Amino acid sequence: MRRLLSFLLLFVVPLFAHASDYHEQLVLRPLPLSTLLASFNFRSNISFSAFEAHNFRLFPRSLGQILQHANTHELHLRFSLGRWDAHSWGARPWDGAREGGTGVELWAWLEAETDEEANRKWRTLTNALSGLFCASLNFIDETRTTRPVMSFQPEGNHPNSTTENTHLLYGVLPHEVVCTENLTPFLKLLPCKGKVGIATLLDGHKLFDASWQSMAIDVRPRCPESGECVLEIEQTIDMVLDIDRSKRPRDNPIPRPPPGHELKCNTSKEYYSDNTCYPTDHATNQDFSLSQIFGKLMKGTCPLADPNVPPVCLEIPDSRNVYTTQGAQEKKNPDGKSRCFEIGPDTDFELVVPRAEKNEETPDVAVEEIVTPETPLLYAERSFTGHGQERGGVQTILRNPSPDTEVEFIYMETLPWFMRIYLHTIEARIEGDTGKSPSLIQETYYRPAVDRARGTQLELRMRIPPASTVFLTYDFEKSILRYTEYPPDANRGFDVAAAVITILNPDQNGTNFAVYNLRTTSLLCSLPTPDFSMPYNVIIFTSTAIALAFGGMFNILVRRFVAADEGPEMGLAARVKERIGAKFGWIAELVGKKGKGEEKTGEEKKG
Amino acid sequence: MDGAKVTVGRTAGLYAGAAVLRLALFTLFPGLPDLLTGRVEISTPVTSFKRLQEGLFLYNHNVSPYDGGVYHQAPLLLPLFSLLPSFSTLPILTYLLYIAVDLLSAGALLKIADSGEAGSSALFTSPRREKRWSGFIVAAVFLFNPFTIATCIGRSTSVFTTCAILHAIAKAVAGAPFSAMVALSFATYLSLYPLLLLPPLLLLCYDRRPPSSQKQPLLNFALSHIAVVLAVLSALLQMSYLMTGCSWEFLPSTYGVQLTLSDLTPNIGLWWYFFIEMFDSFRSFFLAVFWLHLSSYVGGLTLRIRRQPLVVLTLLLGIFAIFKPYPSISDASLFLAMVPLYRHLFPLMRYTFVIAAVIMYTTFLGPAFYHLWIYAGSGNANFFYAITLVWGLGLSLLVCDLTFAVLRDEWEVERPEMVGKEIRQI
Repeated sequence: MRRLLSFLLLFVVPLFAHASDYHEQLVLRPLPLSTLLASFNFRSNISFSAFEAHNFRLFPRSLGQILQHANTHELHLRFSLGRWDAHSWGARPWDGAREGGTGVELWAWLEAETDEEANRKWRTLTNALSGLFCASLNFIDETRTTRPVMSFQPEGNHPNSTTENTHLLYGVLPHEVVCTENLTPFLKLLPCKGKVGIATLLDGHKLFDASWQSMAIDVRPRCPESGECVLEIEQTIDMVLDIDRSKRPRDNPIPRPPPGHELKCNTSKEYYSDNTCYPTDHATNQDFSLSQIFGKLMKGTCPLADPNVPPVCLEIPDSRNVYTTQGAQEKKNPDGKSRCFEIGPDTDFELVVPRAEKNEETPDVAVEEIVTPETPLLYAERSFTGHGQERGGVQTILRNPSPDTEVEFIYMETLPWFMRIYLHTIEARIEGDTGKSPSLIQETYYRPAVDRARGTQLELRMRIPPASTVFLTYDFEKSILRYTEYPPDANRGFDVAAAVITILNPDQNGTNFAVYNLRTTSLLCSLPTPDFSMPYNVIIFTSTAIALAFGGMFNILVRRFVAADEGPEMGLAARVKERIGAKFGWIAELVGKKGKGEEKTGEEKKG
Repeated sequence: MDGAKVTVGRTAGLYAGAAVLRLALFTLFPGLPDLLTGRVEISTPVTSFKRLQEGLFLYNHNVSPYDGGVYHQAPLLLPLFSLLPSFSTLPILTYLLYIAVDLLSAGALLKIADSGEAGSSALFTSPRREKRWSGFIVAAVFLFNPFTIATCIGRSTSVFTTCAILHAIAKAVAGAPFSAMVALSFATYLSLYPLLLLPPLLLLCYDRRPPSSQKQPLLNFALSHIAVVLAVLSALLQMSYLMTGCSWEFLPSTYGVQLTLSDLTPNIGLWWYFFIEMFDSFRSFFLAVFWLHLSSYVGGLTLRIRRQPLVVLTLLLGIFAIFKPYPSISDASLFLAMVPLYRHLFPLMRYTFVIAAVIMYTTFLGPAFYHLWIYAGSGNANFFYAITLVWGLGLSLLVCDLTFAVLRDEWEVERPEMVGKEIRQI
């Protein structure tokens, strides 16, 4: 992964030297299991003086004005979907710095005198961004906002004078579904608006069909050694495409079982024969082309972009053949693992990577098909334990794969208030160890939740010895909410935001310098639900029970005792009898007479 | 059991038996305490032992336990439990503390029973008072009541309130009004609602006051003792204030939660489901109505049954066990501990079989329905709600029936010829 970054820096550094204001680049990297990582990166900047003067050239005006209005110095916004499969795909792109947990994540450094002012500006910012990106960012309220203490460090250069009044706020919406309506405003922020250049490849159908995707916007101030400070905006889209899935034709998108002769079988199985087949899902040797995986060709290059930065790069061993359209120049990198393509401004660019061919001279030596992914510094998985809707536990499995280096990191959880966690039950133990290992957790920052006002914030600084797996567990209780606080799909459950893990630089002890970020998956917590159809019934039943108790008591306390045969006759039966006797006595008489008359007639008939 | 001579040895044996039973349950079934602590029937948000441990953990790590939504119990419980060795290393001391509190409560109950106040108070002497149970039996009924045992094993902090209330009554009966007021202040400090017991307790103290202060009029007596309660309460609150780092934030987090019911965890009471389903615009109105309803019994009962303040206390404890915001079986066990004092009135009660049946029915069906709702998923919240309604109705039937028996007993003093005859109320 660091190779990718250093490789990109190769191009970024001259960019600064030339003070060019915009560059864009697409890096394609085939991953194992027939997947392809596509990283789009767009970066532009604006000098502080131009920013103050509202002289926006490449920097998007809509975003710039929001930032000015909310006194925001640094902003990070993430829209993510899916799960990065670290076990097969290795380390994350950009060392995890350009991704968020599932849903929407936003953190920003705002300038404000007091906490209240910061909250007000934060509300302004979230509401404005909500409108700009068509996302429910306005739902980031106090219960979803935290102020991380250890996890995030500013990426930009902030002048010391403003640091004291700068507030970091962090909000997350795990339930938000990222979709096309978020991509369109994202593309509109680009200087070329997605009409030309690599942005033409971005299509909602393909992007949101990816196995994993993350859209990021980062705005930060940068002060070079010499020259004026600039405000830099970097827009990044990373996506992992399933090549098989992407190549499925558009007119026939429904997967159907292939006919027998097209089945790819795993020949290593012992029962493999002509009529038995264990299908391999992912052919290791994949071919693809730009138009197949993105559904269209790339239209030229953005004329505003720095011509020194090649727009498309491919990380693939030099031994493999790659074909491009006429007019594109291929430049191989000296490390032998990547190549870049210079493209003319008006050519439609196509890139074809055929299947790796077996070397004819040495057929036994397997051809290196893809660049082997780097091992990440840490693997993390988080899940719920327990059953029932009353209480549960959270278990995070953290594995340090390195055989010789310790890994030190900050583990941050932002939990909704209706998950009441019991911090005294937190426990970190190394797999195989029976006792607790208190030395694993070095520092804890905990801000407990307040009902309906604030979520839980938990930050742990942990250190994991080499080649070991740590289980971090704690208990929590699910609270039951008022019936109006449940969403319409209450039984689906409530999303719990991803835990953010920031790995600290092992060399610089004492300073929080993040070298790698990762996020666990988000969780779905099901709460007990009341019966939503019952409000009137419950109010009536409970009131009846109370009325029975109170009425019974009142009756006994207030009324006098008499013997059963004393006092006036009371009770409903007696009263009804009395009334009837007073008013309808004539009926009784009439009935009596009639009865007698009938008897008489009967007698007459007899006679 | 009439006139049974209770020797010291027998009482000691009873205490030892109760303690051994609890200790055996604690040690032979190590999973039982945590199981019972997790039951909603035993642990409410304001009495749960697990929440106490969390509060203790935060307190010991210099995080204010009241700046969060978990801990809603009185601040002074924190230093008390911090003095004990950590629960995780030496749980036996916590067990012994809870057993001791139960035995203290039983001791107070024994004194109340042996005083004979239930049968003959200063202003009224029941013609049936001879037929009573001795303190030994009353204490035994309390100590071996499954509800009491479950509360003790579940380590609910309501046992401290129970103990304080019983001691307040015992001291009042023994003619020590000052100690009674101090004990009641402690109970109030721990869980707020015992403050409503103050009027009948004052009358009880007044009726049983020592001969030295016989001449004091009731008003002066009441005012001076209310002053004692206020002084002790303010001292306790001041101590809490100093202990929580000079901040009053514990007030909304302890008493505020009881008043506004912000934590809607299910329990055996009537409030939780009502306020889950309540429309937001009526929430405050109904909170006021529910509290008003709870306190409305105090005045009526105190005036109507002025001659027997201990009866009023008993009935109020029964009403609180049904209608307070976070009731648990611990409150029911306190009420059921007081009921055997009125053994002489049992023949006058009309629905004993129905009451016993309803209480048994809900005791068994409640946990089952809760399981169906929360774990099995084959029932919904209405199952458990229905059982809490039935439980409330059963207990309120008991309270009403006891009131009826008390009033009839009083009436039969005026009309001795009516004993055993059929009567009615007009």
